[in-house]
Amino acid sequence: MNYEAVIGLEIHVQLNCRTKMFCQCANHAGDEPNRNTCPICLWLPGNLPRFSREALEKAVLASLALNCQIQGESAFDQKVYYYPDLPKGYQLSQFHRPLARNGWVDITDVDGLTRKIRIQKVHMEEDVAKLVHEQEGRTPVSLVDFNRAGAPLVEIVTEPDLRSPYQAMEFLRRLRMQLRYSGSSDCSMELGTMRVDANISIRPRGSGQLNTKVEIKNMNSIRHVGDAIAYEITRQENMVLAGETVVIHTRLWDPDNRVTTAMRGKFEGPCIPDPSVPRIVIDDEWLEEIRSTLPEMPDRKAVRFGSQYGLTGEDATIMSSERDLSEYFEAVAERGVSPRLAAQWIAVQFLPLLKERNETLAESSVTPERFANLLLMLERGEINANAAKEVLKKLRESFSTPEEIVTESGYRQVSGAAELETIVDRVLVENPSAVENFRKGASKAMGFLMGQAMQASGGKAHPRLLKEIMTRKLQ
Amino acid sequence: MHSKAFFHFDSSPRVRADGKALSGKRAAVQCSISVRGWPTEAGSPALRGFVPLEDATAVERLRSAGAALVGNTHTSELGFGLFGDGASRALKDGLADFVLVTDTMGEARVAAAGAGVFGFKPSYGRVSRFGLIGMVPSMDCCGILGSDLEDIAAVFKAIEGGDDRDPSMDGCRMPTLQRDYGGADSTLSAGVITQCIDSLEAGERLAFRGALGRIRKAGITIREVPWKDFDLFQATHNLIGSVEASSSCGKFDGVRYGHCASGSRNWNEMYLQSRAESFSLIMKSFLFQGAYFQFENYPAFERACGIRARLVAESRELFSDLDLLIFPTRHAAIDISRADTVEQVYEPFSLTLPSNVTGQPALTLPGFLPTGDGDIGLQLVGPHFGDELLFEAARRLSPRAEGAR
Repeated sequence: MNYEAVIGLEIHVQLNCRTKMFCQCANHAGDEPNRNTCPICLWLPGNLPRFSREALEKAVLASLALNCQIQGESAFDQKVYYYPDLPKGYQLSQFHRPLARNGWVDITDVDGLTRKIRIQKVHMEEDVAKLVHEQEGRTPVSLVDFNRAGAPLVEIVTEPDLRSPYQAMEFLRRLRMQLRYSGSSDCSMELGTMRVDANISIRPRGSGQLNTKVEIKNMNSIRHVGDAIAYEITRQENMVLAGETVVIHTRLWDPDNRVTTAMRGKFEGPCIPDPSVPRIVIDDEWLEEIRSTLPEMPDRKAVRFGSQYGLTGEDATIMSSERDLSEYFEAVAERGVSPRLAAQWIAVQFLPLLKERNETLAESSVTPERFANLLLMLERGEINANAAKEVLKKLRESFSTPEEIVTESGYRQVSGAAELETIVDRVLVENPSAVENFRKGASKAMGFLMGQAMQASGGKAHPRLLKEIMTRKLQ
Repeated sequence: MHSKAFFHFDSSPRVRADGKALSGKRAAVQCSISVRGWPTEAGSPALRGFVPLEDATAVERLRSAGAALVGNTHTSELGFGLFGDGASRALKDGLADFVLVTDTMGEARVAAAGAGVFGFKPSYGRVSRFGLIGMVPSMDCCGILGSDLEDIAAVFKAIEGGDDRDPSMDGCRMPTLQRDYGGADSTLSAGVITQCIDSLEAGERLAFRGALGRIRKAGITIREVPWKDFDLFQATHNLIGSVEASSSCGKFDGVRYGHCASGSRNWNEMYLQSRAESFSLIMKSFLFQGAYFQFENYPAFERACGIRARLVAESRELFSDLDLLIFPTRHAAIDISRADTVEQVYEPFSLTLPSNVTGQPALTLPGFLPTGDGDIGLQLVGPHFGDELLFEAARRLSPRAEGAR
């Protein structure tokens, strides 16, 4: 029988707020252990949670970026369970009345078609502390680091709309792009600011039923999510084919052995309304204020880049894929550079250079202004493409303008007709056999002669003019 | 001598006479209210060795108003009921002029009535709960006991008002009651609940009727109003209270403070043993009950929340044409010093806990309801945020005001 997978994702995303969700402690989980703690996040007796306005704003931004409907009223619940990572004995989370519902994200499937993946809800919750298990001599000890306790999170729950590992990975990339755009989260799976749990079940293709699902955790990259889902689908198919029954439980992805292993029965503690955090009431006026701070999102921006700048679909998608990048592109284009040239040069030349050094656009010393001036020289024919690539590399190291670098390093393009003719004449004299071959009809010889001439000019010859002269002289 | 009433006593409090509102007054607080640097164990081994890092907001404001803090008084286990409570004893022994206590079911009022003093529970949201170690966040209040009405009024004035460390005050930031009750000549109208009168013993009823006569003479009109759902208050309080308590006590794991059991093989066993050894049998019953509703019978808890909302709405409706409700504070025959079941812990508070369920202010006055078993206290309940109205009414009723008039 032919099976299909039914996949739903639960994504925890840490909001990039300055403070924790219910106290003023710095939201820096990675600092020296237990440095960022206070009586509230340690939940010493007599303390009460103080809900952070910034956390609410960022959570609303994240929800809006996922096309969700923000609920006029929402509230916090206590998710009750006893574990050393939870100083209260419960986690403040929104279960009964989440912040936002009914969102969606469009993905492009492997067949090139667009599919709408529905988001059931987005709710806020506080993170738990981190447990560190160590060995003191022969005694195992467990240490608790409360730096992360109370860090602001949103949990995003999808409908079971995904059918393949590819769709799941594509969905996560789109989700990450939308959230990063909104400025609410850094969404790094490697650093743990985005954590994904996948719920997977299988059913005969074409059937509408929802079968027992298995939850998998512990994937720390989008690639791992895809691999773990693919493994789990096969595992369940094999079980069903062998006549075994899938039982509800949680499994951990083991990235080294590329398998999932059973962890525990799935435990859902009760969720009861929290009496201390006030109910959250959001009025239209405030919501519009927050909505107005949301930037133009990538889909709309890509369309605009196509119509306003004449970019191809692919270039428009790349240039709009990250907020920083799109702003960089526009800043370069606004300085009079041909937008298509700008997009090409950013994507093909500049981004790989940044990646090589693990730099971000914001960190780079190649400002949009310097980059634009370089491309303008290229467009005016003052330098050729090879020289421009060299200048770009030098721009990263120096504070000189592109013009100064071109002058200092002698990259200025040779485009004087007399000078080029001298070079061509010399090359033709020095390569009589190639000339003869060409005249006999071997057009390949042209490439060889051009190469010789370009080399003779020190790489600075204006390629089009050079070719014109060469062609004329060969006839 | 002080050791009977006090958990921690400061032998050299600085009593100032610098002209502030509470200068020269000696304040005690229950040891479930945080005082920076003082051991504050809330009557439970679960808090053994706990020393707050900060003053409760109410304590901080008492200090600013010039009061001298003399010590913290013993409390029942986690403030649940009155067994072992030392607040009224501190007053009786003349060691403090007033005491701040946590009031979840009516502890401040019932203790005051038993001791023949005044006891006040402010509106929920009027006095910051920051620093109060309670179990039922939606009902806990900072109550005040004192033998002088004006002391209590002055203390309330000093400690009330917004505090961003107590989030439940956020939603309550409304101006004090709009209704005009100001002038001494204005009429106040009070109601007595039929179902309450029906619950009184003959002796209590007689005393209550007598008190109503005195109240009428003071210019307060009284009529009887039926409140069918009145009997639901206790079960509602008990159910919701136990659920909130179960959550609130989740933090007591005996690791950073509190009793920690020895000899456990792992952390789970350590939690279980420490908690087993820290809580009394009654406390365990109460917490188990709460956990039962959390884990096994959430729908019942939801229904109780629905009933609570209905009771709040019905009360608001009653107060649309009443200024006050009048009750006795306690039943004469009930012994507050012992309880073997959760029900018995609740028994003394059947007439006070409605105000904790609805969040309304209430004040008990001594001297109005003498019975063969002692003073059972006259309780005035005001509309939410109508705290000042209670003091105004009490002034009209109290002997000092009668004499002055």
